[in-house]
Amino acid sequence: MPGLQTSGIFAPRIIEEIQAKAESGLYSIRGFGTLRERRWATFDDLTFLPCTLTRIPLEGYRENCSTRTVLGTRFAKKPIQLDIPVMITGMSWGALSYNAKVALAKGAAAAGSSNTTGDGGMLQAERENSRTLIYEVLPSRYGINIHHMRMADAIELTIGQGAKPGTGGLLLGSKVSDRIAEQRDLPIGVDQRSPARHPDFLGPDDMIIKVEELREATDWQVPIFIKLGASRVYDDVKLAAKAGADVIVVDGMEGGTGASPAIFQEHTGIPTLAAVSEARCALEDIGLYGEVQLIIAGGIRDGVDAAKAMALGADACYIGTASLIALNCNKPIYEDDYRAIGAAPHACHHCHTGRCPVGITTQDPELMKRLEVEQGAERVRNLLHVMTLEIQMLARACGKSDVHHLEPEDMAALTLEASAICGIPLVGTRKVFGR
Amino acid sequence: MAEIDATGRTSREINAAIRQLIADSCKEITVRNPGARHNLAVAILNDTHIRLAGSAGYYCGGLIDGAAIEIEGSAGWGVAESMLSGTVRVRGSAGSGAAAAIRDGTVVIHGDAAARLGVSMKGGQVIVAGDCGYMAGFMAQKGTLIVCGNAGEAFADSMYATVCYVGGTIANLGTDAVIAAMDPGEADHLEETLSAHLPASLRSTKPAAADFKKVVAGRKLWNFDKREWRIWREAL
Repeated sequence: MPGLQTSGIFAPRIIEEIQAKAESGLYSIRGFGTLRERRWATFDDLTFLPCTLTRIPLEGYRENCSTRTVLGTRFAKKPIQLDIPVMITGMSWGALSYNAKVALAKGAAAAGSSNTTGDGGMLQAERENSRTLIYEVLPSRYGINIHHMRMADAIELTIGQGAKPGTGGLLLGSKVSDRIAEQRDLPIGVDQRSPARHPDFLGPDDMIIKVEELREATDWQVPIFIKLGASRVYDDVKLAAKAGADVIVVDGMEGGTGASPAIFQEHTGIPTLAAVSEARCALEDIGLYGEVQLIIAGGIRDGVDAAKAMALGADACYIGTASLIALNCNKPIYEDDYRAIGAAPHACHHCHTGRCPVGITTQDPELMKRLEVEQGAERVRNLLHVMTLEIQMLARACGKSDVHHLEPEDMAALTLEASAICGIPLVGTRKVFGR
Repeated sequence: MAEIDATGRTSREINAAIRQLIADSCKEITVRNPGARHNLAVAILNDTHIRLAGSAGYYCGGLIDGAAIEIEGSAGWGVAESMLSGTVRVRGSAGSGAAAAIRDGTVVIHGDAAARLGVSMKGGQVIVAGDCGYMAGFMAQKGTLIVCGNAGEAFADSMYATVCYVGGTIANLGTDAVIAAMDPGEADHLEETLSAHLPASLRSTKPAAADFKKVVAGRKLWNFDKREWRIWREAL
C-alpha cells in the first residue's frame, strides 16, 4: 500500500530467503557467481591516463603493439606462448556441456590463446581442438589421467577458486549423466561434492614435493601453474612461489562457478582488484616479480578490465563467465525455458539445475544442441579478439608498443579506496592515500 | 635385471636413470639405497617391475599406469596416488594418503597405513595387512578398501560406492558410513583376494574373511537436495 515502508534490514528478498529456509530446511545452492551490487573498489574505480605532452602515444589503429604472451619461463623447458594475453579459465566437462567445452577450445585456438580442462578431466575433443591446453589437477582428481596430463601444454595445480575459496564445488545430480559419471568414477545421478583439500598434501611444504612430482611426471617440460582463490593473497602468493610455481593464478571473489552454496559466492574471498595488488606486492617483496608470471581472474568482463589488471601487474587474464556469455549465456532466447526454471534472460544463475536454456551448463542432449559448436567457437574467438584490440588501444594511447608494458603509472584512481588498494594517486590530488 | 645405486643422486637423476633403462627395454630394475627420497618411480607407464631396496618418501609410484612397484621398506605420503593400473606393494608401513585417488590397480601394504588411506579412490583395490589411521576411505568413490587390522576414527566418511572390509575394530564410523551384511559368496571372494595378495605369514594372524565387517555408504549424502532431485529425476 502507498506509504508503507519495507525494512532496510529485513528487506523483501531477505524475508523470502528466511522463509524459504524455514520451509525447506535447505540452504541455497546456485551457480554463476556473486549477485551483489558491487560496493567495493573495482577496476571501474581506475581510469587510464593516456599520453598528452609528457608522453607520446602510438597511432591507435596502425602502429605495432605486441600482445604476445609467454608464461612459464622460470623452470619449464617449454613455456607456453600465446598470441594474446586473455585466456579461457578451467570449467569442467560436467558443469559445461560437451559442445560448450569444444566451442571454447576451438574459439581459444582460433584467437591464439589457451583453454583449461576443469574439475572433471580432459575431453579428447578438447585436446584435439586446443592450440594450448592447460590441464588442471584439482583436489577431487576427477578423471585424473597421466596420459592426458602428458598431452598438456601446462599443468595447473588448483588450490582454490575465487567464487568459493576454502570449499569444493558441486555438480548436482541432474548433471551427473551416464557419461559424466563414467568420466568421474561416480554413481549416475549422485549429487557430487568436490573435496576442499587435496587428498595427498595439506600445507605449503608438502606442496613443494607435489610440484616436483608433477614436474617429474611431465619430464620438467611444461610450466606448473598454482591457482589460488583470493583470500590471504599476499601470503599465499609468496608460498606458491616458494613451492616452485612457474605461474601463479589468483582468482578474485567475482569469479564464477557452476554450483556452490550461495553464501560462498557472496561472502568469501577478496575482490579481484585487491587480489592483483596484493599478488604483485608479494612477488616484488620476494624478488620474483617478472620471474614468476601472474594471471588474474575473477569477473574480467572486457579488454578494459584486462588492461587495468595488466597495468597493475598481471601478465595475463583468465575469463570464464564472459566466455560463456559469448556462447549466449543469459541471452533473451528460449525465454519460456528460462521461466520454467524460475529464471529470466539477464537474470539466470541456474547453472546448477542442469537445465541451461542455451545449452551451455547442461548435460541434456536436446538442450545441448542449442549450442552449435562452430558458431559458438566463432563468438568466443570474436570476444577474445575484441578484448585484445581493446587492450591494445589503451596501451597505444598510453604510449606502449607492448601491452605488457602497461604499468600502474598509466592509471589514476577515481576513489580513495582504489588509491589505497592499488597504491596509485587519486585523481586531482597527486597523492596515494593510505600509504 | 638392472640396478641403480641412488647414493648421492637426486630423485630427478634416479627417475631419469629408470626411464633410460625402460627405454632400453629393461623390464626389472632394482634401486639400491633409495634413502626415502621423494617422487621415486612416478609416472611409469608400462609393465616394468621396479624394486626399491629400502624406504621411499612422498608419492612413490604416483601416477603410474601398468608398472609393478615394490618398496621393501616404508613409504611416505601419497604412495601410488592417482595410479591408473599396476601394482604397488609396500613391505613396511605407509604414510598419509596412501592410494589416494587411484583409478584402478592394486595397492598392498604389509604394515600399517596412516591417515586418509584410500581417500577419493575411484577404483582398484587397497589391501592393508595392519591397521589404518583416521579418515580412511574419505570420499572414496569406487573400488575396494580392505583393512585386516583396526581402523581409526571417521572411517569411510562421505563415501560414494567404495566397499570397505575391516578385520579388527573400527574406532568409529564417519558420516553416512554404515555396516552392511555380506552377500552370499562375498566372504569367499574376500578370502580369495586376501590370499592372492598377502603372504601366508601375514594372513595367518588375521580373522577369517567371514568375520570382517563390511562398510558402505548409507547413501544419505548421495542426494542431499532432495527437493530438487525430484525435479531432476523428471528432467532426466
